[in-house]
Amino acid sequence: MFSRRNIITYVIALAFILALNFLLPRMMPGDPLTAIYGEEALVAMTPQLKSELVERFALDQPIWRQFGAYVLALFQGRLGYSYYYNAPVLSVVLGRLPWTLLLVGTALVLSTILGIVLGIESGWRRGSGTDRTMLAGLMTLNGFPDFFVGMVLLIIFGVTWGVFPLAGALTPYSGLTGWAAVLDVIKHLMLPVAALTLAHLSGGYLLTRNTMITVLKEPYILTARAKGLSQGALKYRHAGRNSMLPVVTHTGIWAGRVVTGALFVELVFAYPGVGYLAYEAMMARDYPIIQGLFLVVAVAVLAINFLVELSYTTLDPRVRQVSRAY
Amino acid sequence: MGSNPAKAGFVILLVMIVMAFLAPLIAPYDPHQQSTAALLAPSVSHLLGTNHVGQDIWSQLVFGARTSLLVGFGVGVLATLLGTIFGVSAALIGGLYERIVMRLVDAFIVIPMVIVIILVAAYVKPGILMFIVLLALLSWQGGARIIWAQALSHQEREYVAAARSFGAGKLYLAWRHIVPALGPLLLVDFIYGIRRAVFMEAGLAFLGISDPTMVSWGMMMRDALSFSYLPVWQWWLLPTGIALSLTIVGLTFIGYAVEPIIDPRLRGAEVA
Repeated sequence: MFSRRNIITYVIALAFILALNFLLPRMMPGDPLTAIYGEEALVAMTPQLKSELVERFALDQPIWRQFGAYVLALFQGRLGYSYYYNAPVLSVVLGRLPWTLLLVGTALVLSTILGIVLGIESGWRRGSGTDRTMLAGLMTLNGFPDFFVGMVLLIIFGVTWGVFPLAGALTPYSGLTGWAAVLDVIKHLMLPVAALTLAHLSGGYLLTRNTMITVLKEPYILTARAKGLSQGALKYRHAGRNSMLPVVTHTGIWAGRVVTGALFVELVFAYPGVGYLAYEAMMARDYPIIQGLFLVVAVAVLAINFLVELSYTTLDPRVRQVSRAY
Repeated sequence: MGSNPAKAGFVILLVMIVMAFLAPLIAPYDPHQQSTAALLAPSVSHLLGTNHVGQDIWSQLVFGARTSLLVGFGVGVLATLLGTIFGVSAALIGGLYERIVMRLVDAFIVIPMVIVIILVAAYVKPGILMFIVLLALLSWQGGARIIWAQALSHQEREYVAAARSFGAGKLYLAWRHIVPALGPLLLVDFIYGIRRAVFMEAGLAFLGISDPTMVSWGMMMRDALSFSYLPVWQWWLLPTGIALSLTIVGLTFIGYAVEPIIDPRLRGAEVA
């Protein structure tokens, strides 16, 4: 079962995120309403609306009452209003979230599978030329920031060869439907996903390779070999399967990193996900959006971590004992 | 540490450090100095041409190493220091203090750092010093967890028990026995700390979060990207991206060479 220790961890993390989001704008010198809504929004505001907002945020009340009002609003799904987009923050953020999820999800699945396969092949041939080349190559790749990989892909495949679109997630005003639309989405997704996958491949690879090397020394591998099993069965069914577990346990942490990477990569390809939204909001000083984004992305990463931890305690019974041990 | 990648890593890092230290001597121009000669192709007077506001790209590249390494080493030192203080003290003091510290550490490991910095930067324009402190405050926790685990195991060993039986206090134990024993681990934590910070600095500058008085590789790449339809990317974007990548690769190689000396479980240290 999921331990109490873990739940406390996530409660603390969530509390920190809420507190930061609440305190930061209110600690700024000057009018807190300006810090919450941004200069431009306030210029266009009528005095009535202003006093209404002061009341809604309980800005004339003591700080703990303000925090109460803030948390209450959150639980009602009110993340504020963006005067830049002229829409509620929640709907702006949720409108962009699917693109990021598509990007991050695809990249995470691809990099994990590819990392595992390469790790198994590399660990199987430990010390050989192939293994050493792969190790050096992937460690070098590991040093390339995802946004730089993205730019290089963009210039090669987008600008020079023109095989893939340069920006966006859809061809605007194309009016495509059915399979043509799906194909269009895939075409736009290709380069950003490739950038993220390449940049995040090495984590799964290194982990699988190292585990593979230890697993290959186990007696049951010798037994399987003695039984006369084929190379493929030995490699993937016996050694490979057992080398995958640590990768699963790390996926949660990687998910956080891939989300971060997606923020950068989306900017390179002007991909309309939450990362690009964050950039647009920063440029426009659209504080409500930045705050809402912070909350949604942080909570999403926490949720992914939580789910992964939950899944591997059921997947690998040994983990349960370890987490009880300290 | 005699492996080839490790040697390559050291050479790369050394070149970058020399470039950073001697930047005013190596760079032919002031990296901030603008001129009307914008978007020039490489020539003898401008080795890598000039950017959109007529600044010499080679000079910017050289000064960019300064920012990158300053942030890297600053965050590395600070984060390793915090990780050591909290990791070792939690292991030695134990009890409620240990539980509180480790719970906070766990909580911070799962919080995505970049998002926090974006939020903070939206309100406070961070100068380079504040930037370093902010990055360090948000990134020491992963190291602290490993340092804590290792400090615990050292604490159980006989030499510590012996020192204790002679009446050694906790501070003395920490300083004279535990911290020296953790030496190699702290080194790896430090190297990965630098690497993470170099990457973060570039990434955040790419998003537009940087000290405007410093030249940053991330900022240069961001500027270069908006001219990707011109051939300028060959001498503007590529050299900058390669300088950044080489620095990170060099640090990775050094870290990977030191790592197996200590503990295979360490692989978790480089995350987040």
